Amino acid sequence: MTAAVEAVDVVKVFGNIRALDGLSFTVKPSEIFGLIGPNGAGKTTALRIVSTLLLPTSGTVKVFGLDVVHEAAEIRKVIAYLPEEAGAYRNLSGWEYLEFMAKFNTKDKNETREMAKEAAEITGLGERLKDKTKAYSKGMKRRLLVARALMNKPKLAILDEPTSGLDILHAYHVREIIKRYVKEHGVTMLLSSHNMLEVEHLCDRVALLNKGKIVAEGTPRELKEKFGSVNLEEVFAKVVGLA
Amino acid sequence: MLKGFGNFLVKELKELIRDPKILLGMIILPLIMFPVLGGIISYSRQSAQEKAEKAALLVLNNDGGNWSVLFINNLTFIMKVFVVNNTNPQEALAQDLLSRYNTTQFIEIPRGFSENVTAHRHNSSIKASVEFYGVFSGGGIFEGTSSSMIDNLVYRFNRDWAPDVVYTEKSAIIKGNIAEGVDPGALSGLMLLQGFAMPITIVILLTYSMQIAATSVAMEKEEKTLETLLTLPMDRLAILMGKLSSSILVAAVGALASMVGFDYYMSSFTATIPAGATIDLVSLGLVPSVFGYLLLGISLFVTLLSGLALAVIISAFAEDVKSAQSIVGYIYPLFYIPSFVLMYLDVNTLPFAVKILIYAIPYSHPIMVAKAVTMGDYSIAAIGIVYVAAFTLVLLYVASRLFATEKILTAKLKFKGLRKLGKTPTEALQ
Repeated sequence: MTAAVEAVDVVKVFGNIRALDGLSFTVKPSEIFGLIGPNGAGKTTALRIVSTLLLPTSGTVKVFGLDVVHEAAEIRKVIAYLPEEAGAYRNLSGWEYLEFMAKFNTKDKNETREMAKEAAEITGLGERLKDKTKAYSKGMKRRLLVARALMNKPKLAILDEPTSGLDILHAYHVREIIKRYVKEHGVTMLLSSHNMLEVEHLCDRVALLNKGKIVAEGTPRELKEKFGSVNLEEVFAKVVGLA
Repeated sequence: MLKGFGNFLVKELKELIRDPKILLGMIILPLIMFPVLGGIISYSRQSAQEKAEKAALLVLNNDGGNWSVLFINNLTFIMKVFVVNNTNPQEALAQDLLSRYNTTQFIEIPRGFSENVTAHRHNSSIKASVEFYGVFSGGGIFEGTSSSMIDNLVYRFNRDWAPDVVYTEKSAIIKGNIAEGVDPGALSGLMLLQGFAMPITIVILLTYSMQIAATSVAMEKEEKTLETLLTLPMDRLAILMGKLSSSILVAAVGALASMVGFDYYMSSFTATIPAGATIDLVSLGLVPSVFGYLLLGISLFVTLLSGLALAVIISAFAEDVKSAQSIVGYIYPLFYIPSFVLMYLDVNTLPFAVKILIYAIPYSHPIMVAKAVTMGDYSIAAIGIVYVAAFTLVLLYVASRLFATEKILTAKLKFKGLRKLGKTPTEALQ
């Protein structure tokens, strides 16, 4: 079976900074795969390369067999990317934003409407969808954006810190949506987080990233057993030599 | 009182002074721009004065008496004079005497001049007149210099021989025709006031439209909506063209509104000429024709488009709206300086290097086109449009390349040495 994402020996250099230093990992279809690590570990760079925003300096990345360098346009048809701290257009209402985004996926008016309706349901924002997004709280905006990313049931959803900055209730809501879309629609999720406890409960498999390299990879249970730790936070501390 | 004010003020000043954009935009640019403007105006004034003093004057002597000879001698005191006898102004133009003697002005000493000067000695109410004719070439603050010099020479003659014995009547030669009674100096003054419109329009339109375009791109970056857009199944060029098209529509409306306003301005200008004055820009043919307005509109449109494309490119180097607006501010001198210079001066009176620079800056062209179409010189207008259009195409190509690559996310202006603190864009990307 073709891997959802296959990254092999990926290097990304920005000037004097080596953001990724031989990164390799594989994401299987319909799984939730988490890239975890501290700030500056290279998580966002890795996700940006997978989502065709950046080009790797060397190495290869394939999404469902499509190369990010040569087949970027084809990849964009099967992915959805949610940047960390992304925003919506301030002067559009939540509903208008969803419709605007839906139109990139289909030209059929009915399909557009259905897609936007489903996304509206995911957001749980109800009547507040009629308000301009500039009036939304951070949590409301994040729910809108997660719904946007999942509305067309992409083959691969790339979510950068999907619950970053959200309170417990909003974060719970977003996690439930992610799980539901994997279960009901077979969407593959590649997400990043520095909240290791959250990832432990959400992801099927995780890769620990440090200084642009994968330092450990497996299911949360495997990693905890391997390092004799009670949670992933402790695993990470042991791997990087802090504990 | 105001506890903590001093401490807070020091922090604010440190932040402001250490911001290279503020340092450059608010302090260094004005320090350079105004001395440059002053220098250009001063140089131009000096060269106009020298040019007027060196200029040749054609004298049509239709009198032949002794006083006319004395009058001509008075003229030769500071000017190079060519005398042609028994030729009236129309004949002089028909025979192309101005080109032959390489001059742009002549004086007619009419028949009866000497007789009137002699008669004035017995009856002071009798006066002698001379007629000054100057070619009007479009205005500029120093275009009236020659006319003033003639006044001085006549004053000098009167002072030497008899107060107020000779007076000057002045006419302008506009597009090869004599406009009787229209003082070229006064006409220059009028055209100078009229000429303020286009530079001001350019400054306002470009300032606003470039800010709008830069904000539009920077807002996408600041709100992180650009990243989302770039991963959607759409052509990246479509993002650029969408941004430009919406800005172009605004620019087109802006150009149209400017044309309507400009036309109203010209009409109202003619109407507000004081009663008794005989200058009428419409009847003198000194307003653009419909074709002239069309050329002016096109020139304004391509210039605005060029400004928008430049703003889009520059804003790609900014991380947020504030930075984009500051960075776009760096290119304001490109249209501020030509606008201020061309507001007062004719481009032909400028030093050679400055003249080349003004022609090279695309944003000068609508101002020059406005003057050219007023004078009926459509070839200059057309060349200007072609030049600005070519410049715009290059900018559009660069902008399209920026949007097609990761540069749109990673490009950043660096202020080496000035910027020591804060995240670099590459760090921010990790």
